Amino acid sequence: MAGLSLEHIGKKYPNGYEAVKDFNLEIADKEFIIFVGPSGCGKSTTLRMIAGLEDITSGTLKIGDKVVNDLEPKDRDIAMVFQNYALYPHMTVYDNMAFGLKMRKTPKDEIDKAVREAARILDLDQLLKRKPSQLSGGQRQRVAMGRAIVRNPQVFLMDEPLSNLDAKLRVQMRTEIARLHDRLGATIIYVTHDQTEAMTLGTRIVVMKDGVVQQVDTPTNLYNEPDNLFVAGFIGSPQMNFFDAVVAKEDDKVVLKVGGDTLALPAAKGEALLAGGYEGKTVVAGIRPEDISDEAEDLAKFSGTVIEGEVAVFELLGAGVNLNFDYADTQMTASVAPTTPARVGDVVRFALDPDKIHIFDKTTELAIVH
Amino acid sequence: MKKKDSQAELLKPKKTVTERERTFAMIAIPILILFFLFNTLPLIKGFIYSFTNFKGYGSYEWVGLRNYIDLFTDARVGKSYLFTVKLAFFTTILVNIVSLLMALGLNAKIKFKSALRGMYFLPNILGALVVGYIFNYFFTYIVPAIFHTTSILASGSKAWIAVMIVCAWQAIAMNTIIYISGLQTVPEDVYEAGMLDGATGWSKFRHLTFPLIIPFFTINMVLCMKNFLMVFDQIMALTKGGPAQSTESISFLIYNNGMSGGQFGFQSANAVIFFIVIVTISVFQMRFLNSKEEQL
Ligand SMILES: Nc1ncnc2c1ncn2[C@@H]1O[C@H](COP(=O)(O)OP(=O)(O)OP(=O)(O)O)[C@@H](O)[C@H]1O
Ligand SMILES: [Mg+2]
Repeated sequence: MAGLSLEHIGKKYPNGYEAVKDFNLEIADKEFIIFVGPSGCGKSTTLRMIAGLEDITSGTLKIGDKVVNDLEPKDRDIAMVFQNYALYPHMTVYDNMAFGLKMRKTPKDEIDKAVREAARILDLDQLLKRKPSQLSGGQRQRVAMGRAIVRNPQVFLMDEPLSNLDAKLRVQMRTEIARLHDRLGATIIYVTHDQTEAMTLGTRIVVMKDGVVQQVDTPTNLYNEPDNLFVAGFIGSPQMNFFDAVVAKEDDKVVLKVGGDTLALPAAKGEALLAGGYEGKTVVAGIRPEDISDEAEDLAKFSGTVIEGEVAVFELLGAGVNLNFDYADTQMTASVAPTTPARVGDVVRFALDPDKIHIFDKTTELAIVH
Repeated sequence: MKKKDSQAELLKPKKTVTERERTFAMIAIPILILFFLFNTLPLIKGFIYSFTNFKGYGSYEWVGLRNYIDLFTDARVGKSYLFTVKLAFFTTILVNIVSLLMALGLNAKIKFKSALRGMYFLPNILGALVVGYIFNYFFTYIVPAIFHTTSILASGSKAWIAVMIVCAWQAIAMNTIIYISGLQTVPEDVYEAGMLDGATGWSKFRHLTFPLIIPFFTINMVLCMKNFLMVFDQIMALTKGGPAQSTESISFLIYNNGMSGGQFGFQSANAVIFFIVIVTISVFQMRFLNSKEEQL
């Protein structure tokens, strides 16, 4: 097993498009790294460079202590679950999974054991004799997963490996992957668009945008202290609410002025704003839907940060309710308890948890204080 | 009112179908007539003549199955079958190996790919007779002049190799194109997965490429075999069956002895049998190779 090191990795495609720019990341042995980011931001490209399927335009890639920029994919001891599965169409499920070991001249009985074990974990026992064309999308995806598992490599690269599974299977596979990670102690790099997968599986999450790494941190830190507006909006679902506010000083306390409203800030946040010279300037305030409440208790507790809005959409999610309301020229969302009396058309008072208000610079979009 | 409408609608398509059918018929019937006159009719006539001792001129008599019985004891016919099968077998192998290699090369990431592909396809657009005469000149004058040997075409034991080279040279063009299109049907990601699994070089070809282009291999095998069994133009241009009838293909024998050798009836019988042989071989090949094709 081994760690990876990506130093100033860049990728420019032959058509001149720069898909990845100055990617720096140290991955420790046995880490579970998650890549997230909007479609087309370069996640697959990065993965493919690590696998050796794409040339690295600039920078150094190390596995363990060895520079592998020019090493053949097969010699990197990496297994990959492709975004589009890339199964061998002419081989049975069994042969698809066995092929890698067969090429490495593993003894037949060992191959058989590994394949059957993987098939059991992935619930593919009944399908071993089928060809990929006779499988559903989700089944193919599990075969692709199985093909990687049997290889037992140093590093796993998984490109949205669960995207095509139904909700139940997805949860089941998620636990299997977590268990696999514990059991094999392999280094895993995992691409996903699923917030839950990202938050639950990863030891660290890499947020990318337009080929540039925005932030690398633990799930908790990303959630609580996003470095910039993009990360703040990307992590968390429903996404964080943003609204413009002017920093002002009232009675020696720093407040945010939003339209006619005045939101009192905790002392620490106020000091940071003053220190940054933001007094009188417009900043972007952010608050997560789950930090907005319409309960009387919270309204009393956070009386300095109460706002009012007319509910436009009422979404019942089972365990909770999302209320969409207009505030300060933007659409805001509050995640409240299902017992809420609020309905569409009601003008509702909401309390914002002042400790959970994030403040960002309006031009640089970087976080000022959390 | 409503009923009438639906009735009208029901009637309408019928009318257009007949119009379409008439157009189809107008296009198809002239071709059918021509095909019948120049293809089916001679076939039937040949079949009838195969039961006579017609010389190609003058009067003739019915001889029943006599021609067919004689075919199996005729040394010259036997020899031509041996030669033709030998030629077809070795040329088919040669052509398929070379064109597969060429296709792999022309499908790789190389410069001037399209230009090269076009160039390698050139032999296919030349007439077989033209190619034959060019090579005839080449073997008769150029090769002996360079190597100070006698012409390969004058050697009873080696002349067939010259025929094979000429047949192959031309056939490789088409086969290469077919293999290239076959190679292009193999998805790139299969190779990528293979690269990670450790399938490179020969094992990549054996386990990934070849199994995925077997349908194209089948087509090439069958087409090659059929074409070379019916070899005629190249013989005509190169050796005229010589020396000492050592390169006399079945088609050539049928033409030569049937048209100018006074064996019209006898060679018609030969042609009928030959037709059956070719159909049988092709069907057998298709069956056999189809069973080897991967069910994707
Ligand atoms: N072969 C190529 N040539 C040129 N540009 C490419 C090529 N492959 C990908 N790109 C571009 O590079 C960018 C990154 O692509 P990539 O596949 O890495 O995105 P991604 O983050 O995996 O997206 P998704 O979440 O949709 O899978 C995209 O804008 C894409 O259009
Ligand atoms: Mg991708």
